Amino acid sequence: MSHTLRIPRDEKRGMRTEVVVYASPALLEHIKRDQSLEQAINVATLPGIVGPSLAMPDIHQGYGFPIGGVAAMDWEEGVVSPGGVGYDINCGVRLLRTNLTKADIEPRLRDVVNQIFRDVPCGTGSESDLRVDSKQLDAVLRDGAGWMVEHGYGHRRDVEFTEEHGAMKGADPDKVSHRAKERGRPQLGTLGSGNHFLEVQWVEQVFDAAAARAMGLAQDQAVVLVHCGSRGLGHQVCADYLAEMGSAMKRYQITLPDRQLACVPIQSPEGQAYLAAMCASANFAWANRQAITHFLRGSFEKLFGKETRLEVVYDVCHNIAKRETHLWEGRKRDVLVHRKGATRAFPPGHRELPAAYREVGQPVLIPGSMGTASWVLTGAEGAMRETFGSVCHGAGRLMSRTAARKGRDAREVQKRLEEQGILVRSETRDGILEEVPEAYKNVDEVIEVVHAAGLSHKMARLRPMGVIKG
Amino acid sequence: MFELLEHTADIGFRVRTRTPAELFEACAEALISISIDLDLVEPRAAWPLEAAGEDAESLLVNWLNEVLYLWDARRLALRRFRVLEITAGRVAGEALGEPWDPARHRARLLVKGVTYHQLRTGQDEEGWYAQVFLDV
Repeated sequence: MSHTLRIPRDEKRGMRTEVVVYASPALLEHIKRDQSLEQAINVATLPGIVGPSLAMPDIHQGYGFPIGGVAAMDWEEGVVSPGGVGYDINCGVRLLRTNLTKADIEPRLRDVVNQIFRDVPCGTGSESDLRVDSKQLDAVLRDGAGWMVEHGYGHRRDVEFTEEHGAMKGADPDKVSHRAKERGRPQLGTLGSGNHFLEVQWVEQVFDAAAARAMGLAQDQAVVLVHCGSRGLGHQVCADYLAEMGSAMKRYQITLPDRQLACVPIQSPEGQAYLAAMCASANFAWANRQAITHFLRGSFEKLFGKETRLEVVYDVCHNIAKRETHLWEGRKRDVLVHRKGATRAFPPGHRELPAAYREVGQPVLIPGSMGTASWVLTGAEGAMRETFGSVCHGAGRLMSRTAARKGRDAREVQKRLEEQGILVRSETRDGILEEVPEAYKNVDEVIEVVHAAGLSHKMARLRPMGVIKG
Repeated sequence: MFELLEHTADIGFRVRTRTPAELFEACAEALISISIDLDLVEPRAAWPLEAAGEDAESLLVNWLNEVLYLWDARRLALRRFRVLEITAGRVAGEALGEPWDPARHRARLLVKGVTYHQLRTGQDEEGWYAQVFLDV
């Protein structure tokens, strides 16, 4: 418990529960510099919250909810908040293992990066060759990654190793506005921009040999990490429902310290409609990562031959609200767990896990910042006991984008990374500057905290070789 | 017309103008200048732009959401904005620009949404002001 800070519920009027922050003293210093703790306190005021308002060590200031926040709401009495999911619904991470090694890739790294850059549409305003009509889009929103697999964009196995099998039940395409569909349709199969990226990496160190075997990972093996979400479709769904809830809240007599926290009772018509639209957006995101997987397979086959394999290790979402059953204070509770910049981390034995991972626990994929490490963890019992089966999601930003750009030159950053064996290609110069490694907290430090707290266990540390940014 | 603001994960802007119409025009321009390189866009055609809101904050957020929609869904590279009509709950005008051409135009930051986070707008002794943060 040395890695937690508790803010008691009498800290601020209106708090219904305490705030628990997982952080080391050094990380806490960073955290205190922005408004993230205040935002975690505001989350503690939401009606129907079960257990504490939780903050992970990668927490930073967001909108309404802090990024790196977890809040479980009673399914009958609690509220749902689109801000507790975020604009990028089911922003998440997929890890693919290859049958290649670091040594196979290294001499052809430039070709690999260029090929991926050609095959995976990325950057603002990019569109994919994957065209769906409005009927097909509705099917994508219902069936998620499964739709892609059925239409030739992958294998059945891919879906088995995706959280929720790549499709949330309860998705209703009719609850997604025409505008959201219009915005998202041409963006299906695109990486996007901002902090989204695609990295060719290698397994630098294995910490848990049994889990690594179960996941088919070994030292020096080449892997690919994909980080993206539901694109404009999810962004528009969030905006639509924030607007609707803003006016609905008065009817439900909910007053909040921050308008961005807008929420309604889960059981209200507005709450149910949002959840159906959120599930549809999540499915769009899984379909998107599935399409990108297919494009990547094409890139690798072109360069390394038909025998090249890219297999899904796992796929997690880190912006979502999910109905789950948790044991809390000795009682079985039916809750809606908001994970805003937080990853599900189910322990060994959990029935939601694919049979192959039942003994080792859920793979938890934590992308680091550009040019530093990423991690694979395994979900642990501590997360079930303390954090509603949740853990951190990344390194966590330290510096604003403007500050990151200041005094830096994209070419120099590229050169510095190249000297470390990391090749970066980005659609824009700003894309590189704003994501410089020093703009983020040290991901290793974040991992140490969750490992020591028993929320998840270290499994493998991955190092990037090739970075593709929007 | 506007200044950019710092936010750990994202970006914002602050605008000061003489009139409320100018305020909505300047905010729209600030949003779009974050998304694309304005210098490369020609104001060849105009598209109607309209929003309603039950208070000043939601009117501004809804207006900016309309701008974002024209860019991200309709693929229009916008350059200038003109407010033609403004009342307490409604603002209407037009956006000038041209269809997005990836060969000629340059995208900057991908804006996901317009937020209510630390949103301020109103009038003081120096004129009209707004502060808006965007999720990028």
